[in-house]
Amino acid sequence: MATRRTAVAFRVAGIFSTELVPVFRFCRFATLAFIGGVAACSGSSHAGAPHGLANRDDFGDTVPFGLTPSRIVSLNPTTTEILFAMGAGARLVGRSQYDLFPAAAAQVPNVGPALRPNVEAVLGARPDLVILYGSEDNRPSLARLREAGIPTVGFKIDRIDQFVRDTRLLGRLVNDSARAEGVVDTVTATIARVRHATATLPHPTVLVPTWDRPVIVIGGGSYLSELLDAAGARNVYADAPAASLVVTLEDIVRRNPDLVLAAPGQATAMRTSPLWRAVPAVRAGHILVYDTAIVSRPSVRLGEAARSLADLIHPGAVR
Amino acid sequence: MIRLEDVVVRYPRAASAAVTGVSFVAARGAVTAVVGPNGSGKSTLVGALIGRVRIAAGRVCVDDVDTSDMARDALARRIAVVTQREELAFPLLVSEYVALGRFPHLGIWRAAGETDRRAIIDATQMTAVTSLAERRVDSLSGGEWQRVRFARALAQGGDAIVLDEPTAFLDIAHEMLVFELLHRLARGGQAVLLVSHQLNLVARFADQMVLLDRGRVAASGAPAEVMQAEVLERVYGWPLVVTRDPAVGAPALVPLRR
Amino acid sequence: MSPLRWCALMLALFVAALLAIGIGTINIPPSALFDALRGSGSGLTETVVRTLRVPRVVLAMLVGAGLGMSGAALQGTMRNPLAEPYLLGVSGGAAVGAVVATMLGLGAVLLPVAAFVGALVAVAAAFSVAHVAGGRGDARVLLMAGVVVGAFANAAIMVVLANAESNTIRDALWWMMGSVADATWPQIGIMGLYLLVGGGALVALGPRVDVLALGEEAAAGLGLDVDAAMRWIFVIASLVAAATVAAAGLVGFVGLVVPHIVRAGGARRHREVLVGSALVGATLVVVSDLLARMLRPPAELPVGAVTALIGVPFFLTKLRRLA
Repeated sequence: MATRRTAVAFRVAGIFSTELVPVFRFCRFATLAFIGGVAACSGSSHAGAPHGLANRDDFGDTVPFGLTPSRIVSLNPTTTEILFAMGAGARLVGRSQYDLFPAAAAQVPNVGPALRPNVEAVLGARPDLVILYGSEDNRPSLARLREAGIPTVGFKIDRIDQFVRDTRLLGRLVNDSARAEGVVDTVTATIARVRHATATLPHPTVLVPTWDRPVIVIGGGSYLSELLDAAGARNVYADAPAASLVVTLEDIVRRNPDLVLAAPGQATAMRTSPLWRAVPAVRAGHILVYDTAIVSRPSVRLGEAARSLADLIHPGAVR
Repeated sequence: MIRLEDVVVRYPRAASAAVTGVSFVAARGAVTAVVGPNGSGKSTLVGALIGRVRIAAGRVCVDDVDTSDMARDALARRIAVVTQREELAFPLLVSEYVALGRFPHLGIWRAAGETDRRAIIDATQMTAVTSLAERRVDSLSGGEWQRVRFARALAQGGDAIVLDEPTAFLDIAHEMLVFELLHRLARGGQAVLLVSHQLNLVARFADQMVLLDRGRVAASGAPAEVMQAEVLERVYGWPLVVTRDPAVGAPALVPLRR
Repeated sequence: MSPLRWCALMLALFVAALLAIGIGTINIPPSALFDALRGSGSGLTETVVRTLRVPRVVLAMLVGAGLGMSGAALQGTMRNPLAEPYLLGVSGGAAVGAVVATMLGLGAVLLPVAAFVGALVAVAAAFSVAHVAGGRGDARVLLMAGVVVGAFANAAIMVVLANAESNTIRDALWWMMGSVADATWPQIGIMGLYLLVGGGALVALGPRVDVLALGEEAAAGLGLDVDAAMRWIFVIASLVAAATVAAAGLVGFVGLVVPHIVRAGGARRHREVLVGSALVGATLVVVSDLLARMLRPPAELPVGAVTALIGVPFFLTKLRRLA
């Protein structure tokens, strides 16, 4: 049941308690623990983070405002996409090898991996701002870039409220808060609309498996849980605070989800696996295949993602 | 019964042959002893007999059949070998250990039959280890262990028994017991071939001695013929005298001080 | 070993299997259990029991039996109480096969095949290395050749994994830690076949192991073709071990510990030790799998981790007895 050929894989090595990572083709973001415990602010349009954290990036450092960066290196698929959405794509002089959205990002020079980046290659692009993926693995690179005198920040977006907050921070960073606010508004408005349309419909329980050996599923700490909530459903593992967790097939059978949300490759594998067919929803064929290009990451297309999920689960509800 | 004809053994990557042109006969009903200094090729001969060491030239015959033409288990049914040392990684009971001697005789399913049981009983009686039957082999004293090993060799039921330094770690009393046993076995019809460095005991019990010197036969024949001071001095490279004590009735070698 | 002990061993296996089928994330009471096994249980229980539990317990039994017998045969042949089934590079070779298959994305069906092929290549390599070193039948040379091959395999795995995607790494790691969670009936069938043929051959060769255990010289003196016998036993034991690795990944310590338990129980002749090791090995892996499922719910530990944990106190007691 390999999902490696599909565009989406929510990579987690659950046994070593990792974090949910937004993933693109061949993403390599398997890293160490970060269990998100923040309760879901599920995308309704209110201000994102609490005041005290308003000016800190996801490494916990103050974000340097007052720059007008014209040579940005973004080693983070989510922030790359957000920058393009804000119209700042022209200012990008470097991206990570996995930053593939939007299509225009492919024109930006590839300066290497996002996890444990190639600092030399990054410096070679002569940036005046570097945006890293905010995981602990990248702290050494953070230190080295700062030693070299380059303003460097880190963002790690796992939930919708983080997306809202970090987009606003990015807007201030590149000195274009208006466009940033525009992006945020589009997303939050769409999500609100989807939520409203499905509010009164029955909410089925949904399982979102991301890996097979061991069985890893999306938990309550992930933006996907929030999206499902907005789309008129409920993550059957919403009670788990982690973004993703390792479970067993038996536990899934016990929780007996109504639906299974899967990537295309996963779906075929599950339908033919005698072990997965022990899950009633799989046996009955209640498998929904989502569009990995839209749903795989908590970024500018979150609104569309919520809408697409709603269309799968409650066809025709959102007009 | 066991006949060596011009046996030559060469170890791989060795400068010279370990054994060159050795010939002698170990007859039934007699004790034949191969003696000589360290490195004279005694243990090599034993190896050649049991097929562990390849013979470069010459042949070894058992009852006029070349051993290289014999199947391994056929050879094991005719000749039993007691090697110098044996240490079991996983201890057995004495009865189980002796029973292993019947291995060459057991058929495909390796089930013991009446003949096998008979042979085992005879072997344990002849070596006086019946009382030790239910003891673990690692709980035996040196002398008891040696007798048990003989019992296994006897249980093999052949006509010849070859022993490599059978008294190496035994005290006087046990040494004498072993040699008395070997003597009895020979009188009972077995061909007993032993390798030993105990010249004096050998001289008393052997019917034939073969003295090896750097892989060649320096002297062979009855003990009185072989135990000559001149040749022994030359072979062993140490001054000695050969005495004859009437109480002993056989020649004895006494090394002198330099 | 006395008939009473044999009965106790078989009973222990039976009870362990029943417990393993009944206990888990969903606990199934005995009455429901028997219904489910007969096919007349309620939907959920029957599904869990027949699709998820029974296959893994059966596979655990077969894997444990295979590893136990392989270890017993190798310990006797090599006259070394620390010998174990992965000796001749079986584990290293199988891991290389599995890692390469994972990297190439070969999928769940071909991965066990790749692991098996890797194991065979490693065993053949060990024999070749020993042959080149000049001592084909000498147990110590073969042992060292196995260590060499294993070290090379580890290096190869590191090279492959160093720049691999995280998926590959996780898949490979999970596989290497051993698990019977993905048991399917075809897999079980193949493992069963190997156990039947290989295990049967080992039991038939039991008396030869007895003789080999006396030492090479003594064995030769008893008419055994020592080189050939050792080679056969190594190959068959490694094949059985390779089959277990292909079916369930690396489950360590079983082959090492089980023969000691059986010998402590009074089995001395290797036919007994082999059959006893099959029973005890099966029981051990079944119990380990049960623990693996129960120690960190709802996640599972890999069964190889549990068997390794069991190995530690075992070695401590052995050390104490030595000292």
